[in-house]
Amino acid sequence: MGKPLRPRPLAAALVSALLIHAAPVAAQDTEPSFLARAIESASLFEQPAQTPAPDPYAAARPCAGCPPRSVGRSFLQVTVVNVFYGIANLVRGQVTARVTPKTWWENMENGWVWDLDDFVVNQIGHPYQGSNYYNGGRANGLSFYESAAMAAFGSATWEFYGETNKPSLNDFINTTLGGIAIGEVLHRVSWLMRDPTKSGSGRLWSEIGATVLDPVTGYNRFRRGDASRIAEKPADMVPSALSGFASAGALWRGTEHEPFQGSGQAFLEADLFYGDLLHGRSRSPYDAFAMTMRFGGGGPVSEARLLGRLLGEPFGKNGKFQFSVAQAYDFQKNDAYAFGAQSFDGGVAFTHPLSSRISLALLGSGGLTVLGAIDSLPLGVEEVPEEEPESDAGQGVSEGPRFYDYGPGSKYTVRALLLRDNAPFAVAFYEGRQLFSLDGLRANHFLQHARLDLRVPIYRKIGFGVAGEFFSRHTYYQDAAKTEREFRYPQFRTYLTWDIS
Amino acid sequence: MMRWSLTGVWCALVVLAPSVCAAQETNESRMWIVAGGTSATVRGDCQTCEEDFPYRHGPGIVANAGYRVNPRMDVGAEIFWVPLETASGTLNTTHMDAVAQFRPWRTHGFFIKGGAGMAFIRNWVDAIGPGAINSKALSVVVGGGWAFRVEKRVGFQLFASQHAGALGDLQTAAGDVPDVLGNYWSVGAALVFR
Repeated sequence: MGKPLRPRPLAAALVSALLIHAAPVAAQDTEPSFLARAIESASLFEQPAQTPAPDPYAAARPCAGCPPRSVGRSFLQVTVVNVFYGIANLVRGQVTARVTPKTWWENMENGWVWDLDDFVVNQIGHPYQGSNYYNGGRANGLSFYESAAMAAFGSATWEFYGETNKPSLNDFINTTLGGIAIGEVLHRVSWLMRDPTKSGSGRLWSEIGATVLDPVTGYNRFRRGDASRIAEKPADMVPSALSGFASAGALWRGTEHEPFQGSGQAFLEADLFYGDLLHGRSRSPYDAFAMTMRFGGGGPVSEARLLGRLLGEPFGKNGKFQFSVAQAYDFQKNDAYAFGAQSFDGGVAFTHPLSSRISLALLGSGGLTVLGAIDSLPLGVEEVPEEEPESDAGQGVSEGPRFYDYGPGSKYTVRALLLRDNAPFAVAFYEGRQLFSLDGLRANHFLQHARLDLRVPIYRKIGFGVAGEFFSRHTYYQDAAKTEREFRYPQFRTYLTWDIS
Repeated sequence: MMRWSLTGVWCALVVLAPSVCAAQETNESRMWIVAGGTSATVRGDCQTCEEDFPYRHGPGIVANAGYRVNPRMDVGAEIFWVPLETASGTLNTTHMDAVAQFRPWRTHGFFIKGGAGMAFIRNWVDAIGPGAINSKALSVVVGGGWAFRVEKRVGFQLFASQHAGALGDLQTAAGDVPDVLGNYWSVGAALVFR
């Protein structure tokens, strides 16, 4: 304690980054300044009929609406994202942000450790930070897999050089894999908002809205003047199908002792089905994905699930079957349960038309959880103790104890869906997971989640839905007595939906 | 020792940075095979223990086999094996990882690599007999280096990498040690076949 604030290394890094950023590369000698581009962008928004200015990046674009490819700029922007987060932590007064070359060397000498941070920080905060690294690649024309490498690069450099904390293995995995999943989804959803064939204030607001979702791509589009340039949308950012709905309602969660507690909890939920997960040969990652985000219902964000297809291959007569490999990101936290995971699945889907508009889909998949997190309590502890006031370690230093476990594992999932115009109106879902705890309790966890959803249309785009869910966690402690504990709770939801297809 | 090894590799990469790989032809095969040796530094650290754990040094062998996804990406499997002599016996670690390697610039040999998988740690504890105690671990690897193309399909690479083996409990003659995380720093050279 009492160490003087030493932001000089960070300041030097920022200044050098800005200087490098400002330096024109050989191929872009004629590139106007950022300020000039911003002014030009503003005037274009006001005067849509103006003759378009020549595009200095045209040679580096694979298509007129695509971002120009630049690997060097991707690396630079990933580093700038790290500097930005570092400065933000310094401004917040976190002692862990006071990095120096000495702390860099100490981190390199020490190697990876498990950290003791809060569940939400590790399972949502770090993946979101990773999405910024990932989109440092996508915004500069890199492919999915190349941008995945950028997420890993940004994550590793942050862990070793961005904080005085020892580099955290769980953060590295969550930031990289979660960053890829969230980053690609945000990148594609932000492209749903943009229409680069339009001009005027509507275009400006759509670009601003997209920038809120994907700030790194948005920054680059405004910087390059793409935010006001008229061009076709990149073909790979146009989904083959799109459906979804927004829901608002209440949920009742039970305990082991009573099926349902008296008062319900309000929630808002967004479900998006991008592309067609059940059909088609695909080698373009995330050309089809499913996303669920639930706000409220026991936490600010109580559920986030992403399932993105990495590759798909139809087989069987008329392509009724499809094999696919997918990446999944899971987050669930409410007042009864906390779970998060980064995983990969391989699965087979079968679809069968029941009428011209209604079809049945059956899916079975299994996979590996690279790293999962599950809340748990040591034997003899019945509830999480109240947090102690901050210790002398300083702001930003987590000293534990941490009441959740980390470990790899396996999973299997079965789904049955009834679809009307390719949007599900009845879903039965079962998922089993095994997690082997490597950090935390000496235990194996077996998790089960079953769910039944029914949605019926009421009037035009408005519908009504009910859902019943059941969660269970069976913990096998590795103590001398081989203690076993089971925890389970049911959940019931009722809600109104608005079709956003 | 480790400091000088890392500094040496870093300097080599910086000095060699401007050099360009021999022409990377687009009609090359999709095979990706790497085999080589490393000098490794290992530290197994127990996060909940008070004592300080030593750095140990030893040789290692690394091999990759996989598939070129596109001119900039390779994916495949990696095996990294490190035997270590300790006071109580021999510790053999084998990391088996799924890895992806990214070459940002097609005409330069610079690459970064990352992956995850499992590690198997065989602890040959002399104190309790000739047998071994086996532990499984989550393995994660990150690394980078520079590849040089000597002929159309043969080259070599210099690299530095860091493997982590998260064991949970390490079984030893003296009992289980909880929350052990092993870090394996290595620098080395390898032949590359494409």
